Amino acid sequence: MLTAFRFSRTRSIRRSVVASTVMSLLLFATLIKESRADSSEKDQNTEGRLRHVSLEDLGQIEVTTASKKPVKASRTPAAIYIITQDDIGRSGATSIPEALRQAPGVEVARVDSNTWSLGVRGFGSALSRSVLVLIDGRSVYTPLFAGVYWQVQDTLLEDIERIEVIRGPGGTIWGANAVNGVINIITKSAKDTAGMLVSTGGGNIDQGFVNFRYGAGNGKSFNYRIYGKAFTRGPEFHPNRRQFDDWRMGQAGFRTDWDLQSRDSLTFQGDLYNGDAGQNVRITTYSSPYMANVEQNAELGGGNLMGRWKRVLGVASDIQVQAYYDRTSRKQANFAESRDTFDIDFIHHLPLPWRQDFLWGLGTRLSSGNVTTVVPTVVFTPNHYTDKVYNAFIQDEFPIIGNQVSITIGSKFLHNNYSGFEVQPTARLLWTPSQRQTIWAAVTRAVRTPSRVEEDLQLTALLAPTPLTFFRIIGDRKFSSEHLIGYEAGYRTLVSPNFYLDAAVFCNNYNDLLSIEPGAPFSETSPPPAHTVVPLLFRNALFGNTTGVEIAPNWTATHWWRLRGSYSFLHIDLSKQAGSQDLSTVSSTQGASPHHQVVIQSSLDLARKLEFDQAFRYVSGLPAQLVRAYGTADVRFNWHATRSLDFSVVGQNLFQPHHAEFGGDPGGLVGIERSVYAKLTWQTGQR
Amino acid sequence: MTGRHIRAIAVGIACILFVASCLHAQQSNPTEYQVKAAYLYNFGKFIEWPAKVSTAGDLFSICVLGDDPFGVTLDKTIAGENINGKKVVVRRVAKLQDAVHCRILFISSTEEGRLKEILAALDRTSVLTVSDISQFTRRGGMIQFVMEANRVRFEVNLSTAERDGLTLSSQLLKVAVNVRRSPQPGD
Repeated sequence: MLTAFRFSRTRSIRRSVVASTVMSLLLFATLIKESRADSSEKDQNTEGRLRHVSLEDLGQIEVTTASKKPVKASRTPAAIYIITQDDIGRSGATSIPEALRQAPGVEVARVDSNTWSLGVRGFGSALSRSVLVLIDGRSVYTPLFAGVYWQVQDTLLEDIERIEVIRGPGGTIWGANAVNGVINIITKSAKDTAGMLVSTGGGNIDQGFVNFRYGAGNGKSFNYRIYGKAFTRGPEFHPNRRQFDDWRMGQAGFRTDWDLQSRDSLTFQGDLYNGDAGQNVRITTYSSPYMANVEQNAELGGGNLMGRWKRVLGVASDIQVQAYYDRTSRKQANFAESRDTFDIDFIHHLPLPWRQDFLWGLGTRLSSGNVTTVVPTVVFTPNHYTDKVYNAFIQDEFPIIGNQVSITIGSKFLHNNYSGFEVQPTARLLWTPSQRQTIWAAVTRAVRTPSRVEEDLQLTALLAPTPLTFFRIIGDRKFSSEHLIGYEAGYRTLVSPNFYLDAAVFCNNYNDLLSIEPGAPFSETSPPPAHTVVPLLFRNALFGNTTGVEIAPNWTATHWWRLRGSYSFLHIDLSKQAGSQDLSTVSSTQGASPHHQVVIQSSLDLARKLEFDQAFRYVSGLPAQLVRAYGTADVRFNWHATRSLDFSVVGQNLFQPHHAEFGGDPGGLVGIERSVYAKLTWQTGQR
Repeated sequence: MTGRHIRAIAVGIACILFVASCLHAQQSNPTEYQVKAAYLYNFGKFIEWPAKVSTAGDLFSICVLGDDPFGVTLDKTIAGENINGKKVVVRRVAKLQDAVHCRILFISSTEEGRLKEILAALDRTSVLTVSDISQFTRRGGMIQFVMEANRVRFEVNLSTAERDGLTLSSQLLKVAVNVRRSPQPGD
């Protein structure tokens, strides 16, 4: 009954969304037609006037900077979406996962105030399994849990130059675990952050935040910046009033960029962070009452230091060496871990005869984790373990028909402790029939290598108190890599100078996906009291495919109004291999990613330095998470009061007092609340 | 989302657009690329090309290589204008070999990946290369637009321009934020 109700409701919501979209578009169309007529007449005057302005005066005219067009990405044979600094600023997002909501094919669901589930083309989970996340080339994927702790992935949002979101397997260049996608966060060169920036503000959920950055240089080849930020965030809505998920973080860092000569450049950067994130963790014990929900802050801390040297050797030829050290630690109610990672990568880019563009590289990563057992029901054996990954890649791009068609082939070769040697090849075709159109297609193999959670974890949880029965996940090192062969194609076109359309389709075939197989129950007397254990073993018994479509139009209606959006469709179809006893992984995976997602964003530059942004999003229901479909909206209003002062007000999740996006915390779904914050930004120098 | 919400959105959007179109009448700043287009036209007036180029053809071509960021702005800027008695035309070029017949070539930021190849192909062809790609003058380009506090300024790599036989007027150099005279990588 309940299911039937939910689905009929979903259908009616879908109808309403279609209706509202059509209505809005019609309205836009009629209104904009008039404005465009006005504006082109006006532009004619502007251009006529400007052409006779003297050179000196041209340099004194203050201009409205047009939003960066999605240009660099337009010739990439992959489903890439670029979120620019401007996009981040105008979204009003206060964290990286929130900023990622605008990318098509990405499912961002907030579990509570400090936790997100994030997936690309399916497989959303709180640890973002199968998505590789890099910050300036530094992998933040944890080999302990095969995922990303979003709580500690942060930087000054104003320092981000762009976020490249690559949907689909990106194993060739990016390495293992880029099965479903790559999120590549790139910060600005220190040269582009000269001057001072201070911003502060607060509201009902984002209760208070302060950001600081200072950048300078010697006026020529050496530039640096330092930054610091801190925030405190309140709890979201909890039906049982257990408001455990408040969150505080502080972070500081630096970056220097030094152009030694015209052909060498050297970058050093680093970050330090510390904070605590409120959690509610269900802990099982071997003594009565066997199970308790513990509310305790996770203590988070860490830092990293990176160096990068790049030398330009000649035309389309350069070498790059990058090394980093990263330390991260977390201590929560049920386990604690500290991890040290050292990584070094070398890349050589060179032209070969017949206009080939060749790229090869080598890299190694040593990641040493030390787990402290806090409760006897969460145990990693051994406690201390070092993951060693060695990899090499080659990639060659060569034209086949004039300048119009090119082929890219390549492969990554990887060796890791768990599954040994892995090969991840790709073949990509790019056809540019005209300056305004790009058609691409690709076939790629990618793997997700096992992690310690699948190999070395023993996790025990209560099944029934009488007779006393526990189930226990037993990592026995028999889980191997998950495999994917992805087929993708895409079309991008600049329909008119103002209208850009990007569409992609995909079919991903997965094999050897994780399954959880129950074993034969056994009795255990130690630790007392005597109890029965149902073992659960990680195996690779699931297979299936995901299919989907993503369409992302981008319309710069006039130089003061930009309208963007996306529609993403996803279908997941998983099955068990013969003999698999897996109980729920198929339905829990299929039901944890939305079939439909719609995003519509409007950015208006009003006169007198006013910016007005609106974003609407619709996400269809997640049956496995008991999350209903929802539609909600964010609004941002910014007043560029003087050359260095901005004042903005941002409202988020405005359509309802609160709505659930993803499950995971004990005690029922957490409602993501309607929130408002105000922000004051003062900055000097380059913007 | 109910009908109430849809109505609310529709009304909201209508109000915004109404307000926007009223306010828009007061908007006075030109866009970045309107000013850049005006610069491109002005460069034509403050630069002398070598005689062999000046006599070839009776058109003065301003070309755009790669995705065109100007839209119709550039065409409007030069509409009906002449430089030294030659009619100014705008051409969008797809192939590098077509670019050698341009007087001024604006290289779009989409071409950053193959910039070296482009500049190598244009070496000593007396085409004035202009771009807003970062480090453009350092990488062997001639004029680079830079943004300074929401104003469009430009840098000049004089040695490259002079090597190609172009003469830049002192008036132009005086306005440039930076004039580079150092030898280029690869020289």
